[in-house]
Formats: sequence, structure tokens, C-alpha cells
Amino acid sequence: MNTGYAIHIRNLVKKFGDFTAVDNISFDVRKGEIFGFLGANGAGKTTAMRILCGLSRPTSGSGTVAGFDIRKEQEKIKRHIGYMSQKFSLYPDLTVRENIRLFGGIYGLKDREIHEKTEAMLDMLEIRDAGNRFAAELPLGWKQRLSFSIALIHSPQIVFLDEPTGGVDPETRRRFWELIYDTAEHGTTIFVTTHYMDEAEYCDRVSIMVDGRIAAMDSPAGLKESLAARDMDEVFRIVAGRAVREE
Amino acid sequence: MWKYLLEKEFKQFFRDPGLPRMALAFPVLMMLVFPFAVSMDIRNINLAVVDNCMSRESSLLVDKCISSGYFRLVSHGYSAEDAMRLMDDNKVDAIITIMPDFDRQTALGRGLPVGIKVNTVNGTKGSLGSQYILQCVRMYFSDRNSSAGMASAQSADISEKYYFNPGMDYKLFMIPALIVIAITMVTAFLPALNIVSEKEAGTIEQINVTPVSKTAFIVCKMIPYWAIAFFILTACLIIAWAVFGYVCRGNVLWLYLFTVLDILVMAGLGLLISNYSSNAQQAMFVIWFFAVIFMLMSGIFTPIASMPDWARFITYFNPMRYFADAMRAVFLKGSTPADVWYDVAGLGVLGTVMVTAAILSYRKSE
Repeated sequence: MNTGYAIHIRNLVKKFGDFTAVDNISFDVRKGEIFGFLGANGAGKTTAMRILCGLSRPTSGSGTVAGFDIRKEQEKIKRHIGYMSQKFSLYPDLTVRENIRLFGGIYGLKDREIHEKTEAMLDMLEIRDAGNRFAAELPLGWKQRLSFSIALIHSPQIVFLDEPTGGVDPETRRRFWELIYDTAEHGTTIFVTTHYMDEAEYCDRVSIMVDGRIAAMDSPAGLKESLAARDMDEVFRIVAGRAVREE
Repeated sequence: MWKYLLEKEFKQFFRDPGLPRMALAFPVLMMLVFPFAVSMDIRNINLAVVDNCMSRESSLLVDKCISSGYFRLVSHGYSAEDAMRLMDDNKVDAIITIMPDFDRQTALGRGLPVGIKVNTVNGTKGSLGSQYILQCVRMYFSDRNSSAGMASAQSADISEKYYFNPGMDYKLFMIPALIVIAITMVTAFLPALNIVSEKEAGTIEQINVTPVSKTAFIVCKMIPYWAIAFFILTACLIIAWAVFGYVCRGNVLWLYLFTVLDILVMAGLGLLISNYSSNAQQAMFVIWFFAVIFMLMSGIFTPIASMPDWARFITYFNPMRYFADAMRAVFLKGSTPADVWYDVAGLGVLGTVMVTAAILSYRKSE
């Protein structure tokens, strides 16, 4: 166990047949950090993230997430992390309250705790009136905030967000990031992938994946300085421009 | 954890736009339509008579056949060629040929010069048709030999029922089998689509990233189908009683017990297929493949005893074989699980294997 690190990864490889999706990556994420995991489509971000969440087994390499081995203790990892997938994956035919109740129950919360959490969540998300609406009917921005809150229902140490703000307007995205900041302030580690470079600026540190490898990793300011770039957009174009792999 | 997962499954079932209606319509359709449709009781066999005798005796024999209600007299003449042509044209299913000296020979009590030709393109109709004709001829003689009068006419009526195994019995025989089909279809198809639909919706990923136990997840998916099957069984039993007047001879509880065992197998199989399918189409096709084999090799339509050895061997792996046998035994004979212990064992073993395989093959990580 590596205290001090929320995520500790060494020489991680994931192959699908001949194709090496994740090619020998190593990195650490400190507790309480907002870590941006960037990369072009097909660079291997989602694959790497799925391994960290215990949804996929690495071909080789080692590491720990929340102090548990990514090869042997996947189910223990799942107790201590939250995950919000790119695609809305709450039950569309359950209401907002029922979704909260289901996932609260799965994480072993008691009825009373679930009730309290539900009320607090509806207030915080300012969707009190929508509590009894089906999840499918919510606007995309609300769905994303709800997914995020449900990923946090069991107060996990780390929360993984896979392109959490895809397809919504800048204002909705800004409000989502306010939620992320609030969460990070309470000590939760945030591991987030994104395509929006303005969001990358909000991170404490970012890594940029190119062709399955980590091509750059530093704070946004550090990256801009070392590459003499004006903003993260330019940083991304310089680093990701070295890709040889087709999407 | 179980409570919350169960709540979810039931809510989802009842909120589905089609499933509750399907669970309701299926037993009704099965019980009200199919007993008539699947009846093997053949009527309206088209009959041609080649009567070379044209005596009072020969026309009595023809009357006997027609009055049985199973035949329709299409032609009555002299020409064997004409009758054959009618059969070639598929207008006639059976031909009775009566020889010229029929009346004399029968009066003397000698051999019986009657020819029967049957069109067996439709095998069932052909073989039953020839059976019916034989019965008619036999009856004609038994009538003739007994003394004339009202008393013998009475007894002829009674013996007719005995001989022909009237269609009513066939319906009674098919009702437990139809219940078996209704339950099996619903409880195999719905679970097969269940996990696949979660895969398609992406919701399974959110579940897989939680510490939910595989057993809890799979078993909670199975329990609603027990409820649905009990509902179907109850509905079928009520319809059988209210519409046809049939009641289960044995203890109804045993029917429920066998249903529990059957669902263990079928829902287990459905979920297993669901685990390996990446979309609904795939799952549907595979479960359809199994359902057809199960049905044809279950002994519901054709007796297992008359299958070749290798086919009979395959039926031992068919849950429907055990389920149908047990349901018929309980419903028609009043058997108990002790009487059909082999059915209990067969379903129990297959069920354990299926459910275990379903749980093991459900992977939370790739």
C-alpha cells in the first residue's frame, strides 16, 4: 500500500489481440487532487480508466487504487470509488429518487441514510421538483449532475469521471465544475477525462495520452511554460499532434 | 442490497410498456385458442366409396361410416379409377372398396371383402382415417350380429364413444402441456432479453462498477419471473376450470413446485444466454433455437418412447421433458413428486447447473 497516493500505477499495459490500447503507462495521483486525464479519441484513456475502476483487467503491470491492488482486489476497489460513465447510465425507467435509493442500497446504506442523502442531494442539485420524474426525462445537464452525485453517494475516496460534461452548454459545464471543486475541497480525489481544454485548466495536474502512452504530465501552468504555449489548447495540439495511430 | 435490487426489477417489469400485457395475454391465448388448434382429433376426412355391390348391406356400411361424424362422403360410385383420380387430386383422403358379393359373403358369415386405401401425404390424417374406417366396419358387424332393436342401437352409441376417444380427452391431455409451453416461453425469453437490454442501455456498467454481488444481481433478476410464472399458472388453471371444466386431479401445490424448478432452469438459461449476447437480436435467436428444440423433443406433441435411441438420449437434457411429464402426471393422474421423482431430479440438476453457470458467466470485469 502506498500511503499518500490515491492512485499508484506502474507499467500498465492492456492489449486487445495485437492492438496495444494502453502501452506501459506509469503515474501517481495524490489524495485530494483533481487529475485531468487527457488524450485524443482512441488514445486509450477510457481503457486505462476502466482498469483503474476494476471494470477491466490489465494485460500486465501493477498498481493500487485507494490502496487496493488493481489485479486482485477489484471488488474492494469498487467499494471505495465512484464512477460516472461517458454515457448516461442510470436507470431511465426509474425516477430520480428511485435511482438514488437503488445505488444507495447497493452500497449498503440504510433506509434512513438513503432518505437523508436523497433530500440533501435534491436540494444541492436544485432539482427538488424533479425527484419523482423518470431519469430519462431530465435535461442532459441535470442527468450529468445526478450521475455525479450518485457516484458520490457512498462518500468514495476517489471519483472517476469519464467525459462528464459532453454535449452541454458552457454555463452548464461551469456549474458542473463548481460541483467538482466542492467535492475536491472535501478531500475526494477527482480523476477526470475531458476533451475541453478550458476544463483542463481547472485541474491541478493533467496527463496527455498519445497512442496509448503518457506523452506529457504536469500542472497546466508547467505544461504551458515548458512547451511555450499560450493556453492548454495549444499544449494539446503540440503534444497530441505527435500521434501516429489512427483513431 | 437484495431488497433494493428486487424493488428495481419489479418496478422495471411493471413499467415496461409491453411485458405485463404480454404476461397477461399469453396464458389467455394459450388456453383459449390452442386447445382447439393443436387437437389431433381429426374430423372431416374426405371419403370415396367404390360400391360394386350396391346392396342394402353395403349402403348400411357406408351409413355407418358417415354417421360416425368423422367422414364426409365425397363420391359414391362404381368406378375405382374415378375414386383414384379423386385421391390423386387430393379431393379424397380415403377410399373404401366394397366387392360385388359383399352382401352374400357377409350373410354367410365368411371373410370380408372390403378394401381400404388411405392417402398418407398427411400421415396423421391417413393413419387415423384408416383406424376410423376399421372401427366403423367392426362396429357395423357387431351391430349386425347382435339382434335388431332399440337396445342394440343404444349400445352401439356407447361403444362409439369408447372407440373414438372423443376430442374432449385430447384437450384435457394438452392442457397441462400448454401450461408448460406458456410458462417456459415467457420465463425463457424475458430473462434472455433482460441483461442484454441493460448492456444496450449501458446501465450494466454502472452496476458493474459497484460492489454488488454477482449472486444477488442474478438471483434478483430471476425472482420476478417466478412471480410471473405463478401468475400465468394460476390464470391457466382458472381458465381450464372455468372454460373447459377441467380441474387438477393432484395437489395444485405440486404444480407450483414444478414451476419453481422449471424456472430455475429456464431463467438460468435465459440469463446465461443474455450474458454471452451483445445485443437483443442475438439473445433472441439463441433462445428461440433452444425453445424450438425443447418443445419438439419434450414429449408434448410426440411420445418420447417412439423416438430413436439417440433422440431419446438428447431428451434427458431437455428441461421441458421433465416439466411436461410432471405437470401431466400431477394434473391428469394426481401424482405426487415422490411418484415422479425422476422429474424432480432432472429439473433440479439442470436448474442448479444453469443458475451456477449464469452467475459464473456474469463478469463484472473483462
